[in-house]
Amino acid sequence: MTLAPAALLPLPVAIPLVICATLLATAHLLPGRIPDILALLAALAVAVLSAVIAVHAADGPLVYWFGGWEPRDGVHLGIGFSVDAASGWIAAFIGLLYALTFVFAWGFFDRTHGHFHILMLLFLAAMVGFCFTRDMFNLFVWFEVMSVAAFALTAYHLAESSLAGAINFTVVNSLAGFLMLGGIGLIYAQTGTLDYDGMAAAIAQTGRSPVVAGAFCLVAAALMIKGSIVPFQFWLADAHAVAPSPVSVIFSGSMVSLGLFGLAKVSAVVFGGSDQVQGALPVLLIGLGSATALLGGWMALLQRHLKRMLAFSTISHAGIMLTGLGALSAGGTGGMLVYVVGHGLVKGALFMIAGILLATQASIDEIALRGLGRGIWPAGIAMGLAGLLLCGLPIGILDQGTRLVQGGLSQQGHGIALAATAIGAALTGAAVLRAAGRIFLGLGPDPGDEAGAPSADEREKANRPLWLMLAPCCALLAVDVALPAGPIAHALPRAVSAFMRRPEAGMLAEGPGWLPWVSVAAALLGAGYGLFRKRLPAFVVRPVSASQSAPTRALEILHSGLIGDYAVWLAVGVAVIAAVLAMV
Amino acid sequence: MSPRIRVALLALSGLILLPCAASVIAGLPAFGSKIALYGARINAITPEARHVANMVSAINFDLRGLDTLGEEFMLLAAITGTVVLLRGHRGEGLTGRAMRRPGRAVIPRSEATVLACRIAGPLTCLFGLYVVLHATVTPGGGFQGGVILASGTLLIYLGEGYSGWRDAIHSHWLDALEGGGALVFALCGLVPMLTGAAFMQNILPLGTLRDLFSGGLMLVENLGVAMAVTGGFTQLFLEFMEETRQAEEPDEPGEESA
Repeated sequence: MTLAPAALLPLPVAIPLVICATLLATAHLLPGRIPDILALLAALAVAVLSAVIAVHAADGPLVYWFGGWEPRDGVHLGIGFSVDAASGWIAAFIGLLYALTFVFAWGFFDRTHGHFHILMLLFLAAMVGFCFTRDMFNLFVWFEVMSVAAFALTAYHLAESSLAGAINFTVVNSLAGFLMLGGIGLIYAQTGTLDYDGMAAAIAQTGRSPVVAGAFCLVAAALMIKGSIVPFQFWLADAHAVAPSPVSVIFSGSMVSLGLFGLAKVSAVVFGGSDQVQGALPVLLIGLGSATALLGGWMALLQRHLKRMLAFSTISHAGIMLTGLGALSAGGTGGMLVYVVGHGLVKGALFMIAGILLATQASIDEIALRGLGRGIWPAGIAMGLAGLLLCGLPIGILDQGTRLVQGGLSQQGHGIALAATAIGAALTGAAVLRAAGRIFLGLGPDPGDEAGAPSADEREKANRPLWLMLAPCCALLAVDVALPAGPIAHALPRAVSAFMRRPEAGMLAEGPGWLPWVSVAAALLGAGYGLFRKRLPAFVVRPVSASQSAPTRALEILHSGLIGDYAVWLAVGVAVIAAVLAMV
Repeated sequence: MSPRIRVALLALSGLILLPCAASVIAGLPAFGSKIALYGARINAITPEARHVANMVSAINFDLRGLDTLGEEFMLLAAITGTVVLLRGHRGEGLTGRAMRRPGRAVIPRSEATVLACRIAGPLTCLFGLYVVLHATVTPGGGFQGGVILASGTLLIYLGEGYSGWRDAIHSHWLDALEGGGALVFALCGLVPMLTGAAFMQNILPLGTLRDLFSGGLMLVENLGVAMAVTGGFTQLFLEFMEETRQAEEPDEPGEESA
């Protein structure tokens, strides 16, 4: 019994919890590096166990009932975990990301009694629980644990800006929690169960019902808030820009995409039988996703605060993931799952580079850092590579995800969304490449619109050698590039069918091979324009600046940092979802 | 956005949301019309299967024990986060004893207050323990009893004054209590797995219905939760009081040179 692979399922959640409780109880007794080591080992254990579970789940989802409460007579009594291969691999990726982040943050947080590690381990356990659970209320519990740990981690620096960012994050994400709880209440009232499969069966029998649609509206809005989809995206840039860089790695690399992962699971599994929801999904997800991809990319290009730029780039990529979901096909969803991993690896590496600049050059401002990166050129190479991968350089797993998403979109005939994914990726890549060129090559002496963007004087403790910070960053990029495409493509159709509870489709279509190259070319062009503006003829520069400045200022005004504005946009977003659902 | 645009935008989304909300509310099952199948089934099964009179505890600590484990650690995250925020730049350097601000009179407690607190304190703690131990029989349990226990420690502050409270309460002990309690709860999940049972499966003898020692593993879990909640809440009180003293300092700049 204990040797069955299903018996492993509680461990990736339980191990970080046990280590975290032990750390809290004994932290004042433990010598310096023990919390670092324990946290690293816990994250590695999560990664390895999740990978083992994922391998065993290849033939079909593994199911585990807590407390031995198996369903009786078709009624689900207790809480279950149900892990398909895709969920298992996502959890393994999250474990790996945490392990490398703990290496990156080695000794960074030694002034406190392991509080950083305690919060991070809780965060990790909650994410894995979120991936594994098959119970709607349990999903909410992990969603909230994630939020609470994240609020505290955001404010960790206790500077004025980080407290302001953390407040915005707390208020918006607490509203998300309320929405989700309300949605769960509705769906429970309608179906009388909390288990995914039980709900799905009940919903499939219900037919068109305003209660089911209302529940989906609230739950989807909550998950889109976590996934920073327009118009819920405002909190993200404020929070990611001010969190300590190791925390930002986790936020951008896994927390945001996990919201969309949850949305994918809930909409495919729980609401799979509701024609109204399935009919509304393409319009909703494709529309919001395309808008998010474009707005995030455009805003990224306008930033000079590096972490804020990367945060907007995360928004853009979240939009691309959402369009993949909106294709409602095995290819689109599979591409989105691969994209989650690839994007997490590359974006994690980029936030680590931002952390390296904060620690070694004591600044995060692209313009102030111009040319200062020459002394740490290896980081520059990593940043250039990450920028190219971000905009679509056709190697590695992020590119595989991109091509699958684009394949799903072109198969369903969503031409505008297809263009939005390419343009969004190009814009964020251009922003990162421009920053890399300015910081590490000293190019671009006269900044354009980005000079007017908000910035802050920040620094992080310079107590770690460069190689220690650069090694996990390079490891992330190496994993992205080196993961073999063949086996993933081979295993994906089956994994997606288990994830979506649908019959298996054949090989998944990929998008046109030239599209990523277009993105790369556009990104290089955009970065080049930003860096060599002075040498370009006036008839090129003048119309671009003239047409660019007004919308730029309008966008900046929208991102006001005022929580009242954000709450209003949140209401608008919920209204949009409700309107689309009502019109189907 | 100006406040006027903000309100207009909110009203506009309200125009869409209100009819939708109305149709959802109209579509809900009528108030009290049915008990969900899930609830009915749990009520039918649990007293017999777990020998527990307090159904809320049975759901929280057995049927849906994983949720409660998550909630317990959410509380731990919230308290740890609060400690991080409140300690702030004051850092870890807790002074061993309460600080005295020169020139500020310490107003002694009236004897009536001291006496009332010395009587009420132990009684409150006793009542807290009662609520914890009777988790499976009467309403209450680890969370509720833990909060009562923690408020019992506040009576030390009320009766003995700030320095008496600081002598009695040690931050490290509270950490140990909080972490230890959470660890007990988590181990209640893992230890049954060693015997081949499922995570958090109730493998202890279940006792008799309506007896103090009924419910098996639930009693141990309750004890863990009570420890964690007592430690956590007392830690919060401690940090909030320390924070108050810190915040006063800039108001009286002359004190430091004196």
